[in-house]
Amino acid sequence: MQTKFEHYATTSMLGAPDSPPRCNAKLLFHHEWEARAFGMALALSRDGFFEWEDFRQALIASIAEWEKEHGVDRVNPEWDYYERWLLALERVLKAEALITTEEIQAALAKEP
Amino acid sequence: MTDRFLYDPKREALSAAKAKALEALLIKKGVITSETVTKVIDFFKTKMGPFNGAKLVARAWKDPAFKKRLLKNANSAIAEMDFPPVMSGAEGEHVRVAENTSSVHNLIICTLCSCYPWTLLGLPPYWFKDPVFRARAAREPRKVLKEFGFDLDDSVEIRVWDSSAQIRWFVLPEQPKGSEGMSEADLAEIVTPEAMMGVARVELSPASRGYDPKAQGF
Repeated sequence: MQTKFEHYATTSMLGAPDSPPRCNAKLLFHHEWEARAFGMALALSRDGFFEWEDFRQALIASIAEWEKEHGVDRVNPEWDYYERWLLALERVLKAEALITTEEIQAALAKEP
Repeated sequence: MTDRFLYDPKREALSAAKAKALEALLIKKGVITSETVTKVIDFFKTKMGPFNGAKLVARAWKDPAFKKRLLKNANSAIAEMDFPPVMSGAEGEHVRVAENTSSVHNLIICTLCSCYPWTLLGLPPYWFKDPVFRARAAREPRKVLKEFGFDLDDSVEIRVWDSSAQIRWFVLPEQPKGSEGMSEADLAEIVTPEAMMGVARVELSPASRGYDPKAQGF
């Protein structure tokens, strides 16, 4: 059976705590940057810059950190799945030496 | 869903700026091109064409007598359609149809193998084969459906059907309100494989869905 990587990557998370938000079975994005962050991680893994499983472990870790800090005993409006996703992506990019902290800071400093 | 309006806009702006910065840096370094991310997003936005199963669902919605035959003996009802021979269950598989109503929701899983009626629904989504998903769907279907963004009222009974090598199940979803005047061909266009597995509702169109104009699903 042929499987597109994109399909594999998202569905490999199903039933697991790092599964992205969905609405009526479709992936749900509230802001453009969420979709961009999502697409970046998928494209880079598909093109061999890192293993999908490594990204998932980074995502699971970033989610666990948040839960440890904020607790999981109530629905918290501060929770932002894609913020954790972006943090995981940033860490994997640094770990693979694709981007450095300094470069990110320099790029953010240029933003108005 | 009003929760997100309590969200600190500064955090939101920082995330947006960071995502933009990362993508710009990756493009600058030649790791990706300016098209790469858009292409991935488009892949998820691209809809697959109508499936044979969708044509069955559309006809059942339009024709109550056909629906009756489909529920009673799916194989012979399928044989009425002008599907190519291989598509009509000629491989000796028995197709059964489970009808969703306002009080009963059906979910199809396969805990043993990958007994997916692919001639009707297309190739099986990868997750259908995932052992964790299958086991959880059998054990806690309501919770699993919720993860799919499908929040069923507690009063709705969930029936889980386990496809086997002999019997392939698919779901006859509920017809969405407001679609009564649509043609059979147009109805077939809106029926998704997910709806025929019982993990999604059939929706009129992406535009008519949802309360949040900014949210996009794909």
